[in-house]
Amino acid sequence: MFNADAARRWLGGVLLSGITACTSLPVPRVDESSLSSHAELTAVGFFPQEDHQCGPAALATVLNASGVTVTPEELAAQVYLPARQCSLQVELLAATRRHARVPYVLEPQLDILLREIAAGHAVLVLQNLGFSWLPVWHYAVVVGFDLPQRELILRSGREPRATVGFGEFERSWGLARHWALLVTPLEHLPVTADETRYLSAIAELETQRQFVAAALAYTTALARWPGNPAARLGLGNSRYGLGQFAQAEEVYRELLAQQPTLGAAWNNLAMTLLELQRWDDALEAAQHAADLGGASEPAARDTLAEIRKRREKM
Amino acid sequence: MNLLRKRISTVVALMLASFLFASVVMPAAQAQMVGTDALLHAQQLQQERAAVAVALERADVRAALLDYGVEPAQVQARVDSLSADEVHSLAQSIQQLPAAGDDPFGILLFIFVLLLITDILGLTNVFPFVNHRHR
Repeated sequence: MFNADAARRWLGGVLLSGITACTSLPVPRVDESSLSSHAELTAVGFFPQEDHQCGPAALATVLNASGVTVTPEELAAQVYLPARQCSLQVELLAATRRHARVPYVLEPQLDILLREIAAGHAVLVLQNLGFSWLPVWHYAVVVGFDLPQRELILRSGREPRATVGFGEFERSWGLARHWALLVTPLEHLPVTADETRYLSAIAELETQRQFVAAALAYTTALARWPGNPAARLGLGNSRYGLGQFAQAEEVYRELLAQQPTLGAAWNNLAMTLLELQRWDDALEAAQHAADLGGASEPAARDTLAEIRKRREKM
Repeated sequence: MNLLRKRISTVVALMLASFLFASVVMPAAQAQMVGTDALLHAQQLQQERAAVAVALERADVRAALLDYGVEPAQVQARVDSLSADEVHSLAQSIQQLPAAGDDPFGILLFIFVLLLITDILGLTNVFPFVNHRHR
């Protein structure tokens, strides 16, 4: 017996994570209708893994496949923890961003992984080759599959072409919570990309001030989701970050043509016009943002004040 | 102990100094831009609220709620006032819902989480192992 307060506080957390943990282990059932029976990305390079040094080699493999020239030795300094003889997942994400690529963590399903391979994207996976209570972590890169044989083809450790059965792979991958990382060239979207999650991954790149890469990634995303306001706002923000204010203005105006009541866009347009020293236009846009209220109203009030201050100084 | 206290105050002073420094050096203009992530959060919250509303509209979910004497409209009203984090937890639990009404256990789990998060759990008799505050 426990009281409702306590139940609410901890049981919710425990239960939710428990449910997620149990049910995120799907049976490796694969929808084969939409896939060809074989695929192998033979052009993906191979970097043999140094002793126990898991992480750098696999990351180098997918980064090079995405058009970044980098060696495992260069990456080791950024992602490798000698004490663990391994890299943390977050470090792989951070290192991918540092090399101006969008790290996208796939939905934890074998089907999804296969669809990305079929689309020509090598997938970095985390495996636990030991047991849940005695884990042996390992990163590998899936580069192909053979549906009739029910096998995956991996660049793994010192093996340039390891074949692993679906069942065996599902076990080791499942023990690593089906963690899979996709790194595509900036002109390519993952075919299975979730709109909001993918845009969040780009926004993280933008936060790291990788504006050139972010602008290109947003442009690519807009080709698939032309009506997504966050993608267009992000493109504008990246242009602004690059100091390309005329282009930024153009993007914000396109966005406002689609979404005339988006306060964030009016505010950022005002900021851009401020940089272009078009005081009256800037004030008008900022006022518009402030009048719309909502979440961006405080920013709009600051923007108004900033424009007035800077105009006086001129 | 004294030494530790001194060290802590040094660290705090350093942190304060670096914060002040950062706020002076940061260009004022950047501070008033609305970030892409802010809009994405709003977008995600909207989608999750919609997903929760759809789940509450499901016939099997409504039937199960009514079975336990909980009015679906009451739940929706509570859901409307949940925080972003709570809506997120709820939206996550929707993924555990079975596709059709052939898995009573899946629906029960969802309803448990739903009532837990909306705080209705403490007010009802649905789950007898939970003690009640309002008695």
